[in-house]
Amino acid sequence: MDESTPPPPPAELSPPPVPSTVPSGSPTDFLKGVVGKRVVVRLTSGVDYRGVLSCLDGYMNIALEQTEEHVNGVVTNRYGDAFIRGNNVLYISAAEAI
Amino acid sequence: MASQILPLELIDRCIGSRIWVIMKGDREFTGTLLGFDDFVNMVLEDVTEFETTPQGRKKTQLNQTLLNGNNICMLIPGSNGPDS
Repeated sequence: MDESTPPPPPAELSPPPVPSTVPSGSPTDFLKGVVGKRVVVRLTSGVDYRGVLSCLDGYMNIALEQTEEHVNGVVTNRYGDAFIRGNNVLYISAAEAI
Repeated sequence: MASQILPLELIDRCIGSRIWVIMKGDREFTGTLLGFDDFVNMVLEDVTEFETTPQGRKKTQLNQTLLNGNNICMLIPGSNGPDS
């Protein structure tokens, strides 16, 4: 009824998107930064998988290429491609500078 | 109750400083906190992993690391871990 109330201004208050070269440090930004790089994925069992991170999702499901399986620091297997189900992942660590 | 501070706010105030993360099992991490999300998955830098085994404590140095929040038990801000 009150037609004197102006409509809300357009939402232009959000800050400009941060350039992809300046990661803010959130988990999402970290993951964007490491795709395509060499990573170490440690499972909760303590087994390490080293390889090139080809893709991953919000469950931390991971696809690795050129994968090496390390148990107690010793290479026990090599796989061309490997899929790791996310519930087993303890951490994903960049093996080279991001 | 204006001074009430939420747990995740407390962690947010630790961004940029050293933090000690104690996991559910015999594992601890220290590092510089870069960020975290609602699941308390954490991005850490200059990380040391401490693994307590029957043979003693094993240390591993890591670069930038995304730590899964699923097994995190406790966070101690400003600490450099079990050695400090």
